[in-house]
Amino acid sequence: MSAGNHDAADWLPNDLGGVATAPFERVEHPMLPWEKRCHALADVLDFHKIISTEEKRRGVEALGEATINKLSYYERWVVGFAHLLFAKGIITPEELALKMSEVQARFSVPET
Amino acid sequence: MGEHGHGHLDTEGSGDYTPGYYEILERSLADLLVEKGRIGANEIRREIEVLDSRNPALGARLVARAWSDADFKKRLLANGRKACEELSITSYEDTELIVLENTETVHNLVVCTLCSCYPRAVLGLPPDWYKLKPYRARAVKEPRTLLKEFGTIIPDDIAIHVSDATAQVRYLVLPRRPAGTEHFTEEGLATLVTRDSMIGVVQLGSVRSPAESIDERR
Repeated sequence: MSAGNHDAADWLPNDLGGVATAPFERVEHPMLPWEKRCHALADVLDFHKIISTEEKRRGVEALGEATINKLSYYERWVVGFAHLLFAKGIITPEELALKMSEVQARFSVPET
Repeated sequence: MGEHGHGHLDTEGSGDYTPGYYEILERSLADLLVEKGRIGANEIRREIEVLDSRNPALGARLVARAWSDADFKKRLLANGRKACEELSITSYEDTELIVLENTETVHNLVVCTLCSCYPRAVLGLPPDWYKLKPYRARAVKEPRTLLKEFGTIIPDDIAIHVSDATAQVRYLVLPRRPAGTEHFTEEGLATLVTRDSMIGVVQLGSVRSPAESIDERR
C-alpha cells in the first residue's frame, strides 16, 4: 500500500500514490446543480451498464495529464463520457455538436 | 480547480442564466441518451433524489449502533454491507463495504489514490479535498504528517493503517467511542460522529472536555 519514490511521468495520470504534489488544502465547495446532475448521470450510465465506474475512471485517465489538470472534477467526467459514448458508437460527434447548439440556444437571451 | 465560472444557481428558463460549456455538454449528453431510449427521462432526477438522501448521518447511525451493541459491531466488521441492511441502509450495486475499527493501537485512514471512490452509500459524496491530488498522493506516503495538517496528532506508538478504496471495495472507519459518553443513548451517540472521523482524518474528542478534544488516550 505504500508507494516508493517514483517519477510521475512514468505513471498513468490518475495513479498518484506517493507522487509529490502541491501543498494540501482542506477545500470543499457545495455541489453545483450541474455537477450533481453529472454525478447522477454517471450512476444511471453505470446502472444501465453503458459506462461502468471503472470505465469512467479509465476514460478520464485517457484524456491525458494536461487536459486532466486543466479541467475540474466533473468537467473531466463529462468530457470522458463524450469520448466513451463516441467510442461505443452510442452517440456520434455530429449529433452531439448539433444538440449542443440546440441546448445553447435554449439559454440565449434575446436582445432587447 | 473547481472554479470554472459555473457559480450560478440552476435557473434554466429564467432567461438570465448562461451555462458554461461543460454544463451544455452534460445537458446535451443526457438529452441524447434519453432521446435514444438508452436512459429513462426521469432517471437522472430520481438519482439526484437518491444522492440527496445519502449523508454522513447514515454512517453515524452505524457507528452509534456498533458502540452500543457489541454483537452488531461484530457483524458490521464481518460484513459491512449486510450490517447496513439491518438498519435499512441499501448499498449501491456491486460495492462491498469494509468497516475498519480504530483501537488503542491502530488508527485507520481511508483514501482513493486512483480517483475518488468513497463509501457514499453511508457518507454521501466526498469533499473536494478527498478528490484532489495532495490528499490522494500523500495519504499513502506520509499519513502521519498529512493528519497533522488536519490537526490530528497520532502518537508514534499508534500504527496508522491506510486503506486504498476501489470501485468495488469501499472503506468506512469506525472511530473510537469518546470518553464521557457511557450514559449516552444510541441516538445521542450518533450526533457526536462526524464525517471526517469516519474517513479517519480526525479523532472524536472526549465529551466532558471538548478543549482537550484530540487526546482521548488513557
